[in-house]
Amino acid sequence: MESFINAIVSGLISGSLYAAMALGLTIIYGISRIFNFGHGVIALIGAYTAWIFVQNSKIADMSLLLGILVTIAFLFLLGFLLYRYAMNPLMKKPNWDISTVLFMLGLGILLENVILQIFGPRVKSIPVFKEGYIRIGVVQINWHEIIIIFIVIIAIILLNVFFKRTRIGQAMRAVAQSIPGAQVVGIDIEKIFSYTFGLAFVVTGISGILLGTKYYMNPHIGWEWMVKGFVIVSFGGLGSTNGAIYAAIILGVVEALATLFLGAMWVWPIWFAIFMVVLLIRPQGILGGRA
Amino acid sequence: MLKVDAINGYYADLHVIKDLSLRIEKREVVALFGPNGHGKSTLLKLLCGLQHPRSGSVYFNSEEITAYPAHKIVELGIAYIPEERNLFGDMTVMENLNLGAYNKRAHGSISQNLEFVFEVFPRLLERKNQLTSTLSGGESRMVAVARGLMSEPSLLMVDEPSIGLSPSLRNSVFEALAKINREKGITLLIVEQEIRDALSMANRVYMIKKGQILFEKPAAEVDIDEIEKAYF
Amino acid sequence: MKKITSNWQTAFVTVIVIILAIYPMLGPSSYLKHLFILFFIWSVVANYWNLLNGYVGINSLGNIGFLAIGGYTSGILSLRFGLSPLITIPIGGLVTGLLVTLFLGFPALRLSGIYIALLTLIFADTLPSILTQTRDITGGGMGLHEIPPFFPGMEKVHAYYICFLFFLIAMLILYKVIHSKTGLAFVAMRDSESLANTLGINRYQERLKVFAISSFMTGIAGGFYVHSLGDISPTTLSIEPFLLGLAMIELGGIGTFYGPILGAGAIVFGNEFLRLAGTLRLALLGALICGVILFYPGGIMQLVEELGKRIKVMLNRKKVTE
Repeated sequence: MESFINAIVSGLISGSLYAAMALGLTIIYGISRIFNFGHGVIALIGAYTAWIFVQNSKIADMSLLLGILVTIAFLFLLGFLLYRYAMNPLMKKPNWDISTVLFMLGLGILLENVILQIFGPRVKSIPVFKEGYIRIGVVQINWHEIIIIFIVIIAIILLNVFFKRTRIGQAMRAVAQSIPGAQVVGIDIEKIFSYTFGLAFVVTGISGILLGTKYYMNPHIGWEWMVKGFVIVSFGGLGSTNGAIYAAIILGVVEALATLFLGAMWVWPIWFAIFMVVLLIRPQGILGGRA
Repeated sequence: MLKVDAINGYYADLHVIKDLSLRIEKREVVALFGPNGHGKSTLLKLLCGLQHPRSGSVYFNSEEITAYPAHKIVELGIAYIPEERNLFGDMTVMENLNLGAYNKRAHGSISQNLEFVFEVFPRLLERKNQLTSTLSGGESRMVAVARGLMSEPSLLMVDEPSIGLSPSLRNSVFEALAKINREKGITLLIVEQEIRDALSMANRVYMIKKGQILFEKPAAEVDIDEIEKAYF
Repeated sequence: MKKITSNWQTAFVTVIVIILAIYPMLGPSSYLKHLFILFFIWSVVANYWNLLNGYVGINSLGNIGFLAIGGYTSGILSLRFGLSPLITIPIGGLVTGLLVTLFLGFPALRLSGIYIALLTLIFADTLPSILTQTRDITGGGMGLHEIPPFFPGMEKVHAYYICFLFFLIAMLILYKVIHSKTGLAFVAMRDSESLANTLGINRYQERLKVFAISSFMTGIAGGFYVHSLGDISPTTLSIEPFLLGLAMIELGGIGTFYGPILGAGAIVFGNEFLRLAGTLRLALLGALICGVILFYPGGIMQLVEELGKRIKVMLNRKKVTE
């Protein structure tokens, strides 16, 4: 019983991390209909950029905050420019859906190997925010994990406010709901797509930093993160942010329980099985995104 | 106000608009008739920048706008209300209207325009916090027109405003359009199948067939039989 | 004019085939023969992948997985049960075709494009963990070694001719598929949206057929792969072979018949030079894919076509001056 409850809690923690990681993917797809097959490496770039700032310290301090700010600026610019100079020309061609997928795959592999060149193949991790743990009954939670959950919740709230209250955020929602509608009210959709890429890359980068503090990172781990992200957004409904959050939490818990009862090697086949079942029964996902 | 000079337009790979020219004067109400599939909707899309002509030119207040993207054309004061409406279904009526005023030109007059829109379509005031995906066909049409008005246009192009509406709703939409022209001085270009209704409020008529202008006449001189004949 | 170009093409292809047929008699090194074997197999893999992505618009990312299923099936059957590759290779193809059509084709082809990409990618990504869990049969992370050759006492030159023959037959079948009624309908749909609805073919059923053909043939290619090279391991499913396959299609010219063959040639032989770049090799391949998609989407075939046009113009000019 004790291990069961602890499994649930650790599932919730990894679930919130997965949610952060899937958000960037679903934001881009929901608004631009581009499926980012370079998603994993973007998260990794976020993690490595932040790591530069904390590589010599044992515990996170102000330098990590600085690292996060630099990561945000860098990834926003990367996303913005990438849309502008690579995605936008591809979007104007008839087979844009497959060409953007293949382009981002190619770019992902390119960047992965650039990371490998710069940082080497060895496993790295970002120091935790705060050491120690607290006990609530039988449940033991690290302070670090509490802070992660807190950050994820804050991020989700901020995103919601952004989409609801700001002019650009509203325009993004408008584009997501109807591109011709957005055009006829005078929204510059190319500009919105560029900002969308910038925003989603920032969110993805932050999720990468969080993943780097909880687990570890090496230049190849991005693919694993990305494929999990794919299952989550499909389960939640492509393009649906709320769906992605619920799906991430559910899958996080399922993963933890599967590890507890069946063993870690069953985790991945179970992810695949869930993915297949979702596609067969409810391809629009639990909250019905854009099929 | 609007001058179209020998434009050619395509729908996918079909040559839909062929060397078509027309002009619209300030404060006019111009009706555009023609059989389905003969290029009316494509023409409007070419004028509002959703599509672009492969040749020819379009001038708005003597500025050439042929290659302008849609958002720039909205900013100049041309609003287009598509037949498909293209509302933002997961947003409320109010959010849709606010987005109608997205362009810089409309910022200053949001509250005035809102007041006018609710005066013209009182029903929308009751529904202002409802998601547009839950509205009826007539209400959706009203939101589409109202959203277009929010962009502070000087030229409003409406594609089939009455399609799918009951006769009484149709009347109220046409009354609203007449009011928009009368009180706000907004120039109207209306594409319509309900010839009688559109004719009664139009100053001038263009008849389009196979992507070309068949004839152009003051509305008063138009004979309905003549138009109906042109449909076949 | 069209007739002349197609005659030129036939002549050119015939010459290439003859050269490939007599090449081993010129006594090339075993290593070069090895590269040609890889080229034959990769051409088949890339071109049947291209059949899906380039012709029919099924965005598959799992074709290397199909290759692995076919290879493993044939390898296991011959290694563990002593069956002749003559039997195990077709069985491998059938198993691949069945599994893939059942698990991927039926669900995926009902869905929109991006789901197919996701499902096929995730499918291929799941295979390694299945392999490590079935170590007794599949050899786990170590893979299968000393898989019997096509026949006892086989030499490299035999493998060369066997794979060459397979390559020719596979390309002939592919050519027939593309020029069949279904194939032409797909090409027509790809090139003109407005035509799609007027053709009146059962799109789902036809897509399923093409999907089955592609996975079957790729599975067969997997069989030829293992019996030529003697081993297979989960690294087949790693990112590199996947990337190589994509690069072949993109570089050669997606949606063309000769493109992926040219692409396979360029990548198989070019990859050996790229080894000089050491660890940067994969980065360069990624950059190559991005560059081609962005700046030269027609790939080598576009280059060939442009050169052909230029030559034609030059020839015409000569005629005029004469």
